[in-house]
Amino acid sequence: MTAVADMPRPSPRVFVQFCRPDRRYDPLDAIDIRYEAEGLADDPPRAVEHSVLWYTEGKGEEDLGVLFFERIVDQARLPPETTAEGFATRLPPSPLSYEGVIVKIRWCVRVRFFFTGGRDYVSEHEFTVGHVPPARMPRVEVS
Amino acid sequence: MVRLPRFFGKKRGHRRTGSPAWASLGDGAFHAVLLAAGLVFGGLLLSGVAVPEWRMNHDFLPATCTILGKGLVRRTAMEPAGTSPSTWQPCLRVSYTADGRPLEAWSRPSRSTLTSDRDVALDKLSAWRIGDTIPGWYDPADPGTIVIERGYNWWMWLLALLLPGALVAFGGSGLARTMRRWGRSEERCAVPSRLTDILDPLAAVPRQAPDHPGVPSCDDMMNSPGTFLAYRLPIESPESWALLGFGLFALLWNGVLAVLAVGAGLDLLGGRTDWLLLTLLVPFAVVGIAGIAVFARGLLLATAVGPTQLEISAQPLRPGGTYEVLLAQGGSGTLASLEMTLELEEQATFRQGTDTRTERLTVWRQPIHAWHDLSLAPGTRFEGRATVTIPEAAMHSFASEHNAARWSIAVRGTSVRWPPFTRTFPLVVFPAESRGKAAMPARSRGAAS
Repeated sequence: MTAVADMPRPSPRVFVQFCRPDRRYDPLDAIDIRYEAEGLADDPPRAVEHSVLWYTEGKGEEDLGVLFFERIVDQARLPPETTAEGFATRLPPSPLSYEGVIVKIRWCVRVRFFFTGGRDYVSEHEFTVGHVPPARMPRVEVS
Repeated sequence: MVRLPRFFGKKRGHRRTGSPAWASLGDGAFHAVLLAAGLVFGGLLLSGVAVPEWRMNHDFLPATCTILGKGLVRRTAMEPAGTSPSTWQPCLRVSYTADGRPLEAWSRPSRSTLTSDRDVALDKLSAWRIGDTIPGWYDPADPGTIVIERGYNWWMWLLALLLPGALVAFGGSGLARTMRRWGRSEERCAVPSRLTDILDPLAAVPRQAPDHPGVPSCDDMMNSPGTFLAYRLPIESPESWALLGFGLFALLWNGVLAVLAVGAGLDLLGGRTDWLLLTLLVPFAVVGIAGIAVFARGLLLATAVGPTQLEISAQPLRPGGTYEVLLAQGGSGTLASLEMTLELEEQATFRQGTDTRTERLTVWRQPIHAWHDLSLAPGTRFEGRATVTIPEAAMHSFASEHNAARWSIAVRGTSVRWPPFTRTFPLVVFPAESRGKAAMPARSRGAAS
């Protein structure tokens, strides 16, 4: 859904602050996110979406699980009226962040701005859940 | 000015992703075509078959008909080869009274009397005699239309409902799914809802444990009690499916071969020799015999060693937990070794062209226990106990639509007489309840799409 105007637009900048500076959480912890967006004054978004989710990375097709999602269309909560926003949720017991060999599980916070004309911009900020060490032991069997 | 979406999107790993917009458009167009085909096909069947038949059984009014004449309706189809097969339907010239007016007309032949055999149609016709009175039903909207037989052709109704219904359901749900996703972010589309399950019933999302997203359910592993320990673990046996496949192949191939061989044999008995058929039968017979041999060998190997059973003291498992396991091995003969290992396997399913491939990789393996020089006797079984400890920092079992991390206990045996065998017993490991130290670095990234 990308429609780009002829003139290149400056990309917004999103500064995210996690309630834990090291971005390391345990299952069932509360996660509190604050963010500030810059560079949106000339092209204010018509909506913004906040989400906390996990996704898989690696050889397989990407799978996605959304823990928290909110879409804001109220102009009073959107730039340029508001440049700083926040959201909070509680993490589930699983899945834990995992650095496997062909399967990886990553947790992240995404802030996605939607502009008039269909263009969107997503800012993704990763964090970890749990304390699973990376897996390493190659032995391939393809079926 | 608005540009068309790009055909190719960002490069992901070593693969280049396609444009989601074009993919959605293509997906939507495909399902719209199916929906349209279903609606058109359904409309034609309904208007041409179902509605007239329903009207005949519900709206037509009764009348007493006197048979004035008999005849056959012949329909001939011209085919390219020059043949012109005909179908026959008996019909009657009848007189009757409709709305107080005397009328005379040929009855509309019933679809159930359609036959390609003229003699059968004539036999049916001979059951009626001129001058007899029979019941009939005429169309109140067109009294000149009369039928002498009513009823439903269930095959046509089934065809009218099932085929277009399937096309409408598949195309409609696909189109609705595409429209629901159009212009939405992937996060918004992934938010769980009841509508998702309705619109995407074919998504192969594994059953999850309650309150544990991404962790597969272990209900199926807890419904079989063990003889000594709490649970008997189910065995995962891909070899059994392969054996079944070989068996089905051998059965079907040799069935076809038998039909061809009987035909060739009858020809030979009749004094005719079809050399082409006989020449073809030789390689067919070789493949058929090889199929039986492969199946028989697989069956022998699968049954020669004897059944393996594994019991465990508790389920589900937790990292840091220690569990008692009981291995039972039946059969006869000598096993040079029998060992149990705890394994973690990653599984990734991906599309490569039009193929869907699954790659498996054992990323962690730890021996549990090994036994050597076991003599097995028929009627008894070897039983060995051991303890298994799930590592403190172990990853929990994980299963999503295309990715999985699966724990299992593998039993590997080396027989003196038979080839080595492996039997796998899946486990479900839940996340740890205790907390440890962090290990992975955090990263950030930003992207516009």
